[in-house]
Amino acid sequence: MSSDPQKPLLEIANLNVAFETSRADIRPVRDVSLSIYPGQTVALVGESGCGKSVTSLSILRLIPSPPGKVLGGSIKFDGRDLLTLSEKEMRSVRGKEIAMIFQEPMTSLNPVYTIGDQIVEAVRLHQGVGTREAYEIAEESLHDVGIADPHRRIKAYPHELSGGMRQRVMIAMALSCKPRLLIADEPTTALDVTIQAQILELLRDLQQETGMAILLITHDLGVVAENADVVNVMYASRIVETASVESLFDHPRHPYTDALFRSIPRLGDESARLETIPGTVPNPARFPGGCKFHPRCARTRSLANSAPANQTVELTAVAETFRVMKRCQEEEPLPRELVPLHWAACHQTAEYDAASKTVPALDYRRPAPIEVAE
Amino acid sequence: MNTAGSTNGQPIVQVDDLRTHFPIRAGVFSRTVGYVKAVDGVSFSVGAGKTLGLVGESGCGKTTVGRTMLRLIPATSGSVKYKGSDFFAHRGEELRKLRRSMQIIFQDPVSSLNPRMTVGNIIGEPIQVHGIAKAKARQELVASLLSRVGLDPSFASRYPHEFSGGQRQRIGIARALSLSPDFIVCDEPVSALDVSIQSQILNLLDDLQKERNIAYLFIAHNLAVVEHFSDDVAVMYLGRIVEKAASRELYGNPKHPYTMALLSAVPEPNPRPTRRRIVLGGEVPSPANPPTGCPFHPRCILTQQAAAEADENDTIQIMSGGAKLRVLQKCVAETPPLEQKQGADGHVAACWVAK
Repeated sequence: MSSDPQKPLLEIANLNVAFETSRADIRPVRDVSLSIYPGQTVALVGESGCGKSVTSLSILRLIPSPPGKVLGGSIKFDGRDLLTLSEKEMRSVRGKEIAMIFQEPMTSLNPVYTIGDQIVEAVRLHQGVGTREAYEIAEESLHDVGIADPHRRIKAYPHELSGGMRQRVMIAMALSCKPRLLIADEPTTALDVTIQAQILELLRDLQQETGMAILLITHDLGVVAENADVVNVMYASRIVETASVESLFDHPRHPYTDALFRSIPRLGDESARLETIPGTVPNPARFPGGCKFHPRCARTRSLANSAPANQTVELTAVAETFRVMKRCQEEEPLPRELVPLHWAACHQTAEYDAASKTVPALDYRRPAPIEVAE
Repeated sequence: MNTAGSTNGQPIVQVDDLRTHFPIRAGVFSRTVGYVKAVDGVSFSVGAGKTLGLVGESGCGKTTVGRTMLRLIPATSGSVKYKGSDFFAHRGEELRKLRRSMQIIFQDPVSSLNPRMTVGNIIGEPIQVHGIAKAKARQELVASLLSRVGLDPSFASRYPHEFSGGQRQRIGIARALSLSPDFIVCDEPVSALDVSIQSQILNLLDDLQKERNIAYLFIAHNLAVVEHFSDDVAVMYLGRIVEKAASRELYGNPKHPYTMALLSAVPEPNPRPTRRRIVLGGEVPSPANPPTGCPFHPRCILTQQAAAEADENDTIQIMSGGAKLRVLQKCVAETPPLEQKQGADGHVAACWVAK
């Protein structure tokens, strides 16, 4: 566990992933660059089909191939490029150095083995200990995730447990080998809010104890706001905005992030109508050209209304015809550091043209929360 | 059972003491060994053009309430009155006519549309079954419904798989609207949709309500969505309503400890949280074997606080989630009634401790 806290633990640079099928050539991940420092919680936020799960699966090289293929880029974990490791070397990284928990705890546990057997399997494989010792470690990790009476529960089958308990078992399994990075792919989406609160609190506590880094993949902006240090917003295969959680929520720079924040109902918000984003999340097989958000973007539309006609183009989308800025349709913006430590990919920001093209990397951890728990 | 929902005249729908119990069968002869009391004495009413939100966690019985009301699941006892007449008493042709007025929108827009039927047939089928319009007129009606929910009328000849989740939910809404109902059960209508699509659907439902004076029973687990959308809100726990009030009142001044915990558990989209979080211990108990007395007592913070100050003889020690807790005897022994609490008129909660 002796990694330099100043250096990124995980550094993804210009990752490109393609799925080549006979019908279409899909590019679910384009030029994704993302860094995670030790002890950090980094969120990857986006809607279905934006590429967030493909990105996380690529880290562990779990993309089925064919049809999946990494076209380029590097994924450096503690200085080693995971994309160049042999399959055997990779097996010692998976589970031991980098662990993953999934959205649906029922389908990710094997129904015919007890939960104890499943944890022990991972422990024996990675830690080279005997069966008896492995069971002790398994019991301890069940205890750590707050499962009462672990000695008895270790013999339970997945179907005997509730959804929240199963997710605790998944976390126990993931943490039994003390990984340095935990990838949590929608860890609470299938759970009720009160159970979600328990699980997120558990993850925060475990992170405090072990100093592991977390890559949190979610679509829930509330979960992001309360748990992440750094947030990456993904839209249609690209990261469109990267910033500290405070900077992102206070001043979203990308029109997609901004619109997303405005469209969610909040507790205590009494405005009669929700703002909406027109149109639908684009299908990965048919991403628009230029800026992938331009057919749904309110910013480019309103700018086009007052811009000279030669800088705008007419567009028909979402059953209406309107004008957008020509540049948005023709040229794809890439993330730039618009203000210090806040990256966004939008031509139509005052800072974009002069901004530097640094690679997003943010060694930031939010201040310890003011104790709000009971 | 007078609530804010029934203030302007007669309610459209009135539910009294509704119970839905599912038998648990076991053994060689499938004897009934017990009942899952999915809905256990639920009463409420919904006024014309109003929305009652029904919230609770999975397994609390909120979906069963909606389905039992529409007779998609037989009720064990209780009554549902539609405009004053007992919906459960009707048979045959009369029942068929009444069914026009009460419709449902389902959570999953994928499995609730027949993949072998065109969109036009899906929306047109109820119109045909009820003999409302024939061939040409039916097509025109379908076209107007499609454009009303924001879809192109030419989509009528396409199949459900050609549409995105949000568009399919619009098709489901068009189908529910096809018989001009004045009451719709919306069972988690947006929880399967992407965030940027949810607000479109919520706004559409809102517009339709204003335009056609439709009453909604809005079932959801997302409290922020329910608050935004509902006039009144009822909170369910283990088959019972534990608190009910006007939306603003319930969110601003929650009385029941479960409501408080539920509200505090919603993650705030704000990196500097302002609310205090109450993390509930344990899990929702099985509805096949609910706790005695107040079903919430093994997880309740209020009763523990009250027990700490109460006379020792009025308290009792229980085991909950592997821990020993001291709670009020009354909470274990007797089920609290849903009664008016301090606050706005019509703010009812079922709790022995809350004022």
